[in-house]
Amino acid sequence: MSASLILIISACFFLAIGVPVAFALGLATAAALVLAENFPLFVLLKETFTGIDSFPLMAVPFFILAAELMSGGSLTEVLLKFAGQFVGHKRGGLGYTNVVSLTFFSGISGSALADAAGPGSMLIRMMDKAGYDRAYAAALTAATAIVGPIIPPSIIMIIYALQDDNVSVGALFVAGLIPGLLIALAMCVVNYQVSKKRNYKGDGGMPPWAEVLRTTWKAIPALLLPVLILGGMRAGWFTPTEASVVAVFYALVCGKFIYRTLEWKALPDILARSALLTASVLIIIGLSASFAWILTIEGLPQMMADWIISKNLSPWMFLIFVNIFLLLFGIFIEPLPGVMVLAPILAPVAVKLGVDPIHFAMIVIFNLALGMITPPVGGLLFVTSNVPRVPMGPLVRERKPFLVAHGIVLVLLTFLPTLSTFFTPRAGVQISASVKLKAVRREPCR
Amino acid sequence: MKTFERYFLGANRWALIVLLAAIACIIFTNVALRYLTNQSIEWAEEVSRHMMIWLTFLGAGPVLRYGGHIAVENLQDALPKAMAIAVRVFVAALLFGFFGFMVWYVVLYVGRTMFQLTAATQVPFAYIYAAMPVGGVLLIIHWALIVRSYVLKREFASDAHFDANASASL
Repeated sequence: MSASLILIISACFFLAIGVPVAFALGLATAAALVLAENFPLFVLLKETFTGIDSFPLMAVPFFILAAELMSGGSLTEVLLKFAGQFVGHKRGGLGYTNVVSLTFFSGISGSALADAAGPGSMLIRMMDKAGYDRAYAAALTAATAIVGPIIPPSIIMIIYALQDDNVSVGALFVAGLIPGLLIALAMCVVNYQVSKKRNYKGDGGMPPWAEVLRTTWKAIPALLLPVLILGGMRAGWFTPTEASVVAVFYALVCGKFIYRTLEWKALPDILARSALLTASVLIIIGLSASFAWILTIEGLPQMMADWIISKNLSPWMFLIFVNIFLLLFGIFIEPLPGVMVLAPILAPVAVKLGVDPIHFAMIVIFNLALGMITPPVGGLLFVTSNVPRVPMGPLVRERKPFLVAHGIVLVLLTFLPTLSTFFTPRAGVQISASVKLKAVRREPCR
Repeated sequence: MKTFERYFLGANRWALIVLLAAIACIIFTNVALRYLTNQSIEWAEEVSRHMMIWLTFLGAGPVLRYGGHIAVENLQDALPKAMAIAVRVFVAALLFGFFGFMVWYVVLYVGRTMFQLTAATQVPFAYIYAAMPVGGVLLIIHWALIVRSYVLKREFASDAHFDANASASL
């Protein structure tokens, strides 16, 4: 027990003074191993490597890379045009275009960052030019980019599935569809109200049918990618990791030979950027794996579970507490370390209380994702305030109605489990079965 | 010094590019082979996993340089300037210590794993564990190059292609 105590106290200390999360967890692990002397220091090394020596985890770099390749080509513009032709002429049209194209792009990208930095930044500039309040455009983009980790593919979901044996990547991906669309809908409602109040105009009428058909035809290769990813995994053609690599090559072919906007000489930059992002994610996963190893071996999750269960909470009360706790937690901690530290502790409790593991996963992921825009300022706000420069003050003010909308969606997600589990009985869990038969020496794909 | 920094960065960057591209090609070839010829490459999964480990440790240094390792900065923001600088001196020293530990401890240990071989390719595990000390050395160099501006102003090197908020916004 003493090791866990040292571990938690020193981790809190290192985090508070601003040591980067990955190294704070590493330092805390080293401190606990040296001071408590229960386990050899070798644990730090061994568990860190075990944490990242994982084939399913490799989907992370490639979903990052696929999204970078897609936004490096002119795919973003194609998606934008495609989305704009249906909603652009309405009042607040560009706002809807923003929401719809970010939602489409989420089907390709696995992170909120890719949404906000790719199509998001382009749309903020367009909205700014069309007379929208710049801060409003940035707030709308940040709030909508939350669908990035909810709509499949999703990097956070891949990592969550590795922490919780009760859910598979495939099942989580499918579960994210309805919540993601619900969030997009909520953002549209906010846009409707704000545009009505401020009289943001649309861009005239709907384009002629011939043009609609042409834009749609052009968008088809881009729209097929999410279908390929989800469909291919469901049909058992490939594991999530293989799906991610197929997505990379699909994006490459699309950008190079179909849209012809991707230059060979842009590739090194795209690869380097993806590699850096990968490293920043995986180093946290590795070092927090050794951190979690000590907690687990000393039985802390089990004790937490027993303690919470002894309080005789109803599942609903438990979920309400989890929501409040996660929202507070999200203020300080980003989604990735949040999932790494909390999923192994909270998920078993939820299962024992009879909460569906998929439903619970969606609640955790959505809550932690909200941390990217909740007060005081989340990482996503920094991303959207960069292009073009938006002062933080007005941006924070404009965020308010979006937070309310997200809050309503969160309540719906919490109390209507069927929103998350609607597709699960048929899809998901068995996804990798047929692949396993064919492949040589494959790890069980969780 | 400036030339050293440029070549050092360039070499580090290209190592990352080559690794990521190579992993992608290996896995893609493996999937394609499985469907086209019904065979798969035995070593594909193992080699790509170990390359990803190397990618992680080789990339950690440049990420540090650009301020891409997420940290909780609320306390530092709340402190008066002199206090914040003092805290950052402490943080910087802690990081040097941890990186040094990564190098020293693993170098001590790595020799002992020379005789453990990986399953598919029979490579000594030491070659995989070596990623940590090598990464540690890179981290120390990258950190030394920017530690001054970190301590004084919490500023990192900027890069047109990498957003420091990246990993915070997954």
